[in-house]
Parts: sequence; structure tokens; C-alpha cells
Amino acid sequence: MRGEGVVAGPAEHADPARIARLATRCRLVLLEMIHRAGSGHAGSSLSCADIISVLRFDRMDWSADRSGDVFVLSKGHAAPAWYAALIVGGDLPAEEVGTLRALDSRLQGHPDRTRLGLVDVSTGALGQGLSVAVGRAVARRLHGRDSTVYCLLGDGECQEGQVWEAFLYAGANRLSGLVAIIDHNDSQSDGTVGDTLPLRPLPDKLRAFGWDVAQVDGHDHGELRDALRRRDPGRPSVIIAHTRKGRLGPGRVLLDGSHSDLPSPAEYAAAVDYLETLLECGA
Amino acid sequence: MSSTRDWFGAALVEIAREYDHVVVVNCDLAKATRTLPFKEEFPDRFFECGIAEANAIGVAAGLAQEGFRPFVASFGHFLTGKFLEIFQSVGLNDAGVVLVGTHAGLAIGRDGPTQMGLRDVALMRTLPNVRVFQPADGAEVWQMMEHLATDRHPSYLRLCRQPQPEVHADGYRFRFGVPHVVREGGDVVVFAMGGTVPVAVEAAGRLAVDGITPTVVNVSSLPVDRAAVARLAGAHRRAVVVEDHYRVGGLADEIGRIVLGLPDRPRFDVLAVPDYGQAGPPEELYRRYRLDAAGIAAFVREAAR
Repeated sequence: MRGEGVVAGPAEHADPARIARLATRCRLVLLEMIHRAGSGHAGSSLSCADIISVLRFDRMDWSADRSGDVFVLSKGHAAPAWYAALIVGGDLPAEEVGTLRALDSRLQGHPDRTRLGLVDVSTGALGQGLSVAVGRAVARRLHGRDSTVYCLLGDGECQEGQVWEAFLYAGANRLSGLVAIIDHNDSQSDGTVGDTLPLRPLPDKLRAFGWDVAQVDGHDHGELRDALRRRDPGRPSVIIAHTRKGRLGPGRVLLDGSHSDLPSPAEYAAAVDYLETLLECGA
Repeated sequence: MSSTRDWFGAALVEIAREYDHVVVVNCDLAKATRTLPFKEEFPDRFFECGIAEANAIGVAAGLAQEGFRPFVASFGHFLTGKFLEIFQSVGLNDAGVVLVGTHAGLAIGRDGPTQMGLRDVALMRTLPNVRVFQPADGAEVWQMMEHLATDRHPSYLRLCRQPQPEVHADGYRFRFGVPHVVREGGDVVVFAMGGTVPVAVEAAGRLAVDGITPTVVNVSSLPVDRAAVARLAGAHRRAVVVEDHYRVGGLADEIGRIVLGLPDRPRFDVLAVPDYGQAGPPEELYRRYRLDAAGIAAFVREAAR
């Protein structure tokens, strides 16, 4: 497995430079998984690698027995980013890097909790994860549990009507234990979100639905951490994370941000070189 | 006489008193689905999602994952219409939700096919871990509710609007997957579930003058025990399925697959709804589709010939 030597540990949580290194390592692992599988959504996974890294390695009360905070990857096609975080975090053995999308693998093309217990909610068909996250947050409130349910959505996914049913319900019920993060890369299968079916004005719509809204650079770990720390006690929170699909690092994007194209062997090798150089430079 | 949805509403309150983890997710149909008494007694355990079934199913899945036993209730047609949400958020999560689909079959009458639960069993039976329940009378509702409260499987509870008489003898014990003979006979065996069970029993009574004494079997939960059905079907020359459901994907498919595997299989006939249904008074609809006692008796008489 590539990029070994950067494994997360509890003492590293507060160090932004370490989160950056772990995020780079996640990118290496997810690209290796997709390269070896010969399929997978590289661009979508790279888009949210920083968000997932900040959650998994810093903000979430994470435990492998899944008794702490909940994470719902509603944009299930970015599963390689989550699997990579689990591998980098030591929750999954590195040998499973080569099993993405393989027969009998725990690492299904989209997260399947009946096969992998480290997946909190099975997702894949878009639009459903936020509703389940709402149910879990409602249940925890009823139990009097002080914990957070995080749900990561795609921006294109927000065209699904069910997402707005869930936004409506959570806002009306002042569900403060719920944090939604929208990976806003303005890219979906057939083109830009703006050209396909625009969401704007997204922050206004979410505020009107009763949510506390923050906007951040979704590749800036400091901004993500600050936004995730700041919570309205009386409302659910949503963070609109502005991202670039396929982002490898500063100024560097894979496959021009394609939604589902696969990198060629040469493109893969160049991406690996770039990411390993980042690691060597301490970023 | 009462309906299975009425008995459900009463039993729900009883089991909720006993089991704290029983909660209700509603879609603006608490009166129609009979969850209103639960809401009045347990307002903190009642979650109103409004007319948004897809979200309600997801919310119920989340509640189930956290240890609750949510009953999410709506018309069966509306609930199972959210098939992709049930497939993924309930089925593929193995979330212990009880989907309660009321107004099964033609009995909703004048509201017509956009409200009729005629395809719900078919949809739910495509999900390997989802169990289907349809009680035939009050005694069975109460026992099923006790079973569902203490069970963890994703489940679909199919309920009827029309009043039904008791068909089980005193001392009946519901057991999941076990078909139950409600009327002993010979030559022809009639398999039914839910609201058609008492009608099939009445039809069997009418056939006595013709010298035909069908066995009537209540198949109240699916998947059904194959060996038990095989024994019953194998002991008769004719097997008939009568169901208030579309003819594809329901009880007929379930029983037909078992009958097909029998070495000396009986002749197999199906009486079910062959189309989308239509609006009309329930009794006229049942007459038109031959799912009233006279229609079933005529069908069984032909099958027995």
C-alpha cells in the first residue's frame, strides 16, 4: 500500500498539519483502491476527502464499536473516501485496499452496513441518508444522549425531494444534534449543478427551512474544524463546504473534476507522485 | 365485528404500555391508521412526519438503528410506493422497522386505485429480510402485535379497513410462518390471507350443498413454512389461492412455487385482482372481481370440477 507511515493516533487530533497529512494519505489510499478495482468515483471521493478527514480524525467522537457519534455518508458513491479514512485510522486492515468492489468484499461499491459494521447507514441511491440521520438524532434526543449525528450529502443529491422533506422535518423539530455537510463541488453526472438544476440561493433556502447555515472552503481543515465546532443549540446545523471535484491538493485536480471517469495508469502514477511529494514536504 | 386496523390501534396502545421502545412514525394519517390513541397516550413517542412518506421511512430506520421499534403507518399503497427507500434504508440497513400498511385491497372502494393496496405484498416480498404479516381477525392481531413488539426483523403489517368476524377457534396460537387450517375439509384446499380468510370460510360453507367441503388455510405471515404448505397442498386434489391483491407477486406466487415442486402436484388456480382496480362501492367491487363469498364459491366449484 502506498504512502505508509502516516497513521492516525489520538494525540494528533489537535494538529492541523497532521490532519492535512492524514487527508493526503486518504487520497493516496482511495486512489489506490479505485485504481486496483478498475472502477469507482474518484472525483467525488477526492472532493470530500478533507471533510471526511476532519470528521474522522478530529471532530467526531469516533469509536470502532460505533457507540459514539454517527456518520452517514448520504453521497454513498464517495465510499472509497470513507473506507480510506477507516484504513488510515487503523479501523480496517491495509490488506483490504485491494478488495474494493470485489466479490464478497466488505468494501462494496456503495456503503453496506450489513457487510461492514463500520458503516453506520447503508446508502447509494441518493437522497435517503439525511432522513435516517434525522431518525438517529431524534432517537438520541429521546434517550437524552449528548452526541452528534453527522450526514455528508452531495450538492447534486440535494435535487432529490426527500432531502428537503428531511430538511423540513429537522428544522421544524429544532434538531440540534444533527449536522449536515453539503459537499458543494457544483458537479454532477451530466455537468454542473448550476446547469442541471440550480440550487441557488442554497443558504437562503436552508435558513428558511430552520437551519443554522455556515459556508466554508471544504478543503481548508481549519475552516472546517471551526464550522464544525460552532453549533446553534436550538437548531440543526448545515455546513456548505465549497469544494472541487477531483481535488488532489493546492492547484491540482484529477481528470479536470470528472464525476466518474477513471484515471489512466499514467494519470494515476502522476497523482501518486504528486501526493507522495506533498507528504515528503510535510503537507 | 371490527377491522384489523381497529384491533391494531387498540393493541398498539397495550404493547406500548408494556414496551417502552415501541414508537410511532406518522404521515398525517393517525385517524385513518388508528394510531391516534397511541399519540394521545404517548405524545413523546409519536413522530409526525407529515405527508412525506419517504422521509418517514428513513426517520423510522434511524429510530430502529438506535434501539426503538418504530411502527410507521400509512395506507399500504402509499407506504410501499416508497419502495427504493424501503429497499435501502430499511432492507439493506436491516433496520427493525414495522411498516404498517392499512387499507389493503379493494375495500377502500370509491377512492379508487390510487389509494388501493393491491401491489404491496409483491413489493415487500422482493426484500429477503422483510417479513410480511396479515392478520385475519382480532385474536390474530393481538398476538401478532406482541410478536412484532418483541421481534427485531424489518416487517410489513398489512391491515384491512372492512369489519371481519373472528375465524380462529379459542386457544389459537399465532406462530410466524406457520399456515393455520381454519376449516377442515377435503378435495380442495383454499389458501387465503387477511380479509379474504373469513370470506373464503363463508364461501366454503355455501359449497356444502354441492357436496364440496374445501379446506381453508390462513397464511398470515410470509415467508411461509414450505413443508407445511406442501403437506396441505399434497393432501388435496385441487389447490386454490384467493387474494385481495394483484394476481402477480402475492400469495399466489408464494404458494404456487411450493405446489410446483410437489411430485404429484394438485391442479392450481388463482383468484385475484387482474388489473389496477377501480372506484366503486366495496361490496360491488368484491362482486365484480368475484372476491365476495358468492364469487369465491363459484370459483372453487369450477376448480373442484
